[in-house]
Amino acid sequence: MAVLSVGQSLPRVDLAAKVTGKAEYVFNMELPGMLYGKAVRSLVPHGEIRAIHAEEARQLPGVVAVATGADLDGLYPWFGPVIHDQCPLAIGRVRYVGDVIAAVVAESEAVAEKAAELVQVECEELPAVLDAYHAMQPGAPLLHPELRLPDTGFTDVRAVLHPEPGTNIVNYFRLRRGDVTKGFAQADHVFEDTFRFPNIQHCPLEPHASIARFEGNGVLRVWSSSQTPYNVQVALAQMFHLPQSRVRVDVPYLGGGFGSKTYPKLEPLAAVLAWKTRRPVKVALTREEEFITVNRHAVTVQIKTGVRRDGSFTAREVRLVWDTGAYADIGPRLVKNAGYASVGPYRIPNVKVDSYCVYTNKPPAVAFRGYGVPKVAVAHEVQMDRIARKLGLDPLRYRLREVVGEGDTFATGETLHSVGYQELLRKCAQEIGWGSKPAPSRAGKVPGKGLSVSIKSTITPSASQAEVRIYEDGSAAVLTSTVEMGQGSDTALAQIAAQALEIDPGRVQVIHPDTAATPYDMTTSSSRSTFHMGNAINLAAEDAKQQLRDAAAAMLRATPADLVYEGGEFFVPSQRERCVSLAEAARGTGTGRGGVTGRGLFRTDGGLDDSGQGKASVFWFAAAGAAEVEVDTETGQVHVVKFVGGVDVGKAINPQSCRQQNEGSIITGLGATLNEELVYDNGQAVNPSFLEYKLPTFLDLPDVLQTVEVETAHREGPYGAKGMGEAAVAAVAPAVLNAIRDAVGAELRDLPVTPEKVLAACAREEGNAGHDRDHNTCQRS
Amino acid sequence: MTEITIRVNGRERRIAVEAQATLVEVLRRDLNLTGPRESCGQGVCGACTVLLNGRPVSSCLTLAVLSDGADIVTIEGLAPEGELHPVQRAFVEESAAQCGFCTPGMILAAVSLLEDNPNPDETEIREYMSGNLCRCGSYPRVTRAIQSAAARMRVERP
Repeated sequence: MAVLSVGQSLPRVDLAAKVTGKAEYVFNMELPGMLYGKAVRSLVPHGEIRAIHAEEARQLPGVVAVATGADLDGLYPWFGPVIHDQCPLAIGRVRYVGDVIAAVVAESEAVAEKAAELVQVECEELPAVLDAYHAMQPGAPLLHPELRLPDTGFTDVRAVLHPEPGTNIVNYFRLRRGDVTKGFAQADHVFEDTFRFPNIQHCPLEPHASIARFEGNGVLRVWSSSQTPYNVQVALAQMFHLPQSRVRVDVPYLGGGFGSKTYPKLEPLAAVLAWKTRRPVKVALTREEEFITVNRHAVTVQIKTGVRRDGSFTAREVRLVWDTGAYADIGPRLVKNAGYASVGPYRIPNVKVDSYCVYTNKPPAVAFRGYGVPKVAVAHEVQMDRIARKLGLDPLRYRLREVVGEGDTFATGETLHSVGYQELLRKCAQEIGWGSKPAPSRAGKVPGKGLSVSIKSTITPSASQAEVRIYEDGSAAVLTSTVEMGQGSDTALAQIAAQALEIDPGRVQVIHPDTAATPYDMTTSSSRSTFHMGNAINLAAEDAKQQLRDAAAAMLRATPADLVYEGGEFFVPSQRERCVSLAEAARGTGTGRGGVTGRGLFRTDGGLDDSGQGKASVFWFAAAGAAEVEVDTETGQVHVVKFVGGVDVGKAINPQSCRQQNEGSIITGLGATLNEELVYDNGQAVNPSFLEYKLPTFLDLPDVLQTVEVETAHREGPYGAKGMGEAAVAAVAPAVLNAIRDAVGAELRDLPVTPEKVLAACAREEGNAGHDRDHNTCQRS
Repeated sequence: MTEITIRVNGRERRIAVEAQATLVEVLRRDLNLTGPRESCGQGVCGACTVLLNGRPVSSCLTLAVLSDGADIVTIEGLAPEGELHPVQRAFVEESAAQCGFCTPGMILAAVSLLEDNPNPDETEIREYMSGNLCRCGSYPRVTRAIQSAAARMRVERP
């Protein structure tokens, strides 16, 4: 009996708990004797703390303690993944509106909130830098005069980490391939465009929440809404001078992450407050705090491209300036990964990329689904259409001719594999009805269509470990530190284990992260879990089966090498009727009721040199998008009639989950394209609430939302699978912008595409009054 | 403190509440019902949706004292223990949830929609459900789940 698991759209295993409200989130957790911490935050973007008056707060009934930077004495106060530039409580200086100055700990959340308002802070305001362009100029006020590097980790960033001393540039990533000067000299046409993108916010419906407790045996236990439990463990061990073995981080379900919950966030503060009060302390953000604690990078993209008369590329030069906010977080890596991705999935012989990660006095910008690529893809794809128009090329045929394929060399010098752009583009174009002009739904609405492609990497090198435990009843537990944050990992990983063990997936339980029990995984992000953890599980299952094979061989009085494992049974092929089941073999190992545990470690290699050459990624996300829009020429309103998002998934472990992830990616992309912007005034967030910050709702969906999954098996992926969870995000905005251009001729260069911007772009287009236009223009009455 | 009597998931409860306490606080803190979740605190996201006298309300905007005498259903009481309401079943079958944080509110809003309109079309579903936010992007599947639950409920409860 062959077990069918991989490739099946099995129902998600986590939904029974989620539809009954029983799924566990840190947000819902309470511990006996638990206190609540609430931050006192900076009201200025940059300042020196002169005095903190907390007497009134301390006297409020129910207040247990007020902690400030002075309470960090004796601890190693610094944390941050790449640069140690953050403290749980400000020491001397605040660097953004919202920076944590002090924290109140109280018996209830309400009292903590009230007391936090009573803490008075005297702050001397310092000159602030509120955008990356000004922040990177010589002589700009410095946020971090010295850079503290952690001892280890983040080798891919460390290899290319170039802060510019005496400036706010925390990393300058450069890529050089060929000779762009020569390339531009060979060009018949040169195109230059600048694009701007604002900050947006992740808006996980579960805001960040962490609980910390020091236990009697000296162990620091933390329950946290984290995508990176092991990274948090290491940071806390260092902060409290504890052996890593005495810090234990648990992660139940996450109510959404989208990158916002990678690396330490609230955990250091919760732990400091628990350390100070010797009681369990929970710190959970309100929605407003969530908006001002992390965001997605604002960035300016300048892209210059040289092409021959036939459209083939001679050179591309990209300059990226990223506003990383007041603390580096993972910005130094993001500017690298989005840096090489900004070249786009095209065959370009001469390439130069300069990507700057710049501190500003704004809340820290962190990882966000798509990791910078949703912005750089807009730049190369909107420009691609501009080139096509200029040269009279069809955007589809032009892309099909120039896009990279199997065996091509990418800008980083590595050879590409499993990048099904041809199939993706053809399918997306077919689904959108490329080449036919739809009829407007009514007068004043102008339809248009647009296409896009994007390319993205995954963290490389990295490592994932898994354990597969097989009990004496034949059931299996999969121990991993992969975080189930909605992406469906519990289901996909169970399917992979079930396939490897040839048992019913219902007999497999995936255990959630607990650093004291589940083995190391670098991170649940970068759409890496299916590929990396899937491989680790396969290795662990093999290891477990090997142990069971030995036991089964003894039971059958055969040599292990002669045994075949099939359908959950060991047997010698010549004696098929004498077989030993998985459960019997587990009993035969003599390990007692605990069963046997197989272990697997999957590790990838790679890295770039100082010219951005080397191996950036173990696999590549290939995505394509196709949009049909209708632009209301009276109001400038853009309605997405249909969106098709396509991703090369390698192999769909669970096809339904893949479609679901693609749907989510598309909706995320549409929000950033049409609605979302976190607005600042003098460093202060102006719209930090769901009333004023417009998340996509049911009413913002396209009439038709369709996904395309193509399967170009990856030779190193489990069953050929690659990651895919965020791949389609980057294909959304460029396809929509190209469709708007197709509809009304409006050239848009910055997101979100508000009606005002559309009307203004239409007016510019009318002013230009080109004669060779084959499209409608806005007719304003 | 004011004492209120509310019927929650079929059980009568007498609770002393502060004047400013919201219903979601009382349900979570005093009754340990964590299905309703305060995510925005402004009645915008729908994650705290409960049924109050059969109508969906944002429990983060409802003062507990003003719900005195009311009949309240949270996700925990939508179906008897061990069983699923047809809407819950449809959410599982259509894979209409990802992180699941917004899901209880989504389901209760959907139940209320189907009480009002046993056969909603896609536009009606989108309009009715537009007060429930999901960042994972499950809207298309929630729409399908509601349609499939509606079909089943019309057969099972004509």
